[in-house]
Amino acid sequence: MISGNIQKTTSHQIVLPFYLYAALAFLSACAMLYLFTDSFHFHHFNPKTLAVVHTMALGWATMMILGASYQLVPVLIEGKLYSESLAYLSFVSAAIGIPILVYGFYVFDMGWPLRTGGILVNVAVLLYLINLGKSLLDSQSKNIHAIIVFTAMLWLLATTLLGLLLVYNFGTKILSRDSLSYLSIHAHIGIAGWFLQLVIGVGSRLIPMFLISKYTNQKLLWQVYALINLALVLFIMFDLLSLDSSLFYVPLGMVLLAMGQFGSFVYKAYQQRIRKKVDEAMQLSLLSVVMIALPLVVLLVFILVVNFFTPMGNLANVYGFLIFFGWLTAIILGMTFKTLPFIVWNKVYHKQATDQVTPNPKDLFNEGIFKISALSYLLGFVIFSIGLMARTDILLQTGALLLLCTAILYNYNVFKILLHKTKK
Amino acid sequence: MNVRNNNSEKCTRALFALADVIDPEIGLNVVDLGLIYRIDFLEEEKKIEVDMTLTTQFCPMGESITNNVSRAIAQKFQEYAVNLNLVFEPPWDPEMITTEGKKFLGNN
Repeated sequence: MISGNIQKTTSHQIVLPFYLYAALAFLSACAMLYLFTDSFHFHHFNPKTLAVVHTMALGWATMMILGASYQLVPVLIEGKLYSESLAYLSFVSAAIGIPILVYGFYVFDMGWPLRTGGILVNVAVLLYLINLGKSLLDSQSKNIHAIIVFTAMLWLLATTLLGLLLVYNFGTKILSRDSLSYLSIHAHIGIAGWFLQLVIGVGSRLIPMFLISKYTNQKLLWQVYALINLALVLFIMFDLLSLDSSLFYVPLGMVLLAMGQFGSFVYKAYQQRIRKKVDEAMQLSLLSVVMIALPLVVLLVFILVVNFFTPMGNLANVYGFLIFFGWLTAIILGMTFKTLPFIVWNKVYHKQATDQVTPNPKDLFNEGIFKISALSYLLGFVIFSIGLMARTDILLQTGALLLLCTAILYNYNVFKILLHKTKK
Repeated sequence: MNVRNNNSEKCTRALFALADVIDPEIGLNVVDLGLIYRIDFLEEEKKIEVDMTLTTQFCPMGESITNNVSRAIAQKFQEYAVNLNLVFEPPWDPEMITTEGKKFLGNN
């Protein structure tokens, strides 16, 4: 007999569809990147670039984060998920909404496709927010990690609501300015408010846990939290009031400082780890922490140095690529193989005794393929980035092809894990 | 390793059996991880009382690990009923990992 507080984790039936969807979205985004390389010479507000960006931001990164957080947030808040039905509904709503939205961008139809897709995505986000918000309220532990994650969710809702508003503003004037002038706010509250904060909230708990490190620093995490949110509020104010562009260095500096502090948090956790052998999936996740600052550093270099020599037409393309295909993709590629094999292993083997017949969760995917995909990813990322900055087609095509190879290999491993069954 | 017990010989045999129960994420057995707090043998009632913990209260592998601990002891001592109590006081701490466990994790 087993007594005590054994907590049931979120059902794999809720979590796994998100992983599957995200993997297919990554493959689609990389295929589009390869087919549409010519569009990256133009302004970022063009149909093909918008289709790629929203496939990456919503289909890949957000779907993966939603699925993983239904599994991991209960660990953070030390409480169970409020409703699995709401979680499933959020999947259905987002899974239908995202392709319609992407199609809307591709055909550049601000009518029914973008409106329908946008509404469905917002419904999914709202359900996600209600579900995890209620879980947090019901839990006994309201720690800094949970507060950061919940704030990130609020920014996600703000991002998708503003996105929907901008779509409607194209047809009927609702806002005081045209929709294009709000794109910067829409993008940055999504990137810094949602993605960056979520990664910090979850990473600051899970990275020391995976490394078996005793290091923690609540005060520093509160500072990071305050810096990012204050920077976002200032950024929105400066933008809405159309203040002098030099003022934007203030929120930029605050976010850079927050990233530096989070970097030092991870570095100290790494230094004080008991688990000295760090596996490849964790190495890629740690590399992504370094890559957090890369987009902002490149942005600064572009503004301060490169701008003197070349036109800045594709600066936003470089910046966006570094965020979505760089930092976010690196962290997801790594964390997939730190979470998915365990979810499937639990599903298949949780009632089976640990003996020689039971494989290790790490054996559920092909490590050789993972190493090749990691190499292909890093090469593709570097080559495409140089291609964007140098505006060289052959580099863009080579980089995109390598990223497409990465996505194919990644999908191979994800499907290998998802289809794993016990050997009879 | 500091496992409270009322029968050191049987406790050692139980710990030997538990050396095969591995935390799948870390790859280390539950004994060297320091998850086992107490193993008492109640001879009159033919019961084994086990107090153990997890690295985190909401460990996604918790159910699998506790099932395996209970099963491993039951197989070793078939004449006893196993009563496993999952406790979180004191909370698990990385310092509870044994010297052997730390060596396994790369600390020399």
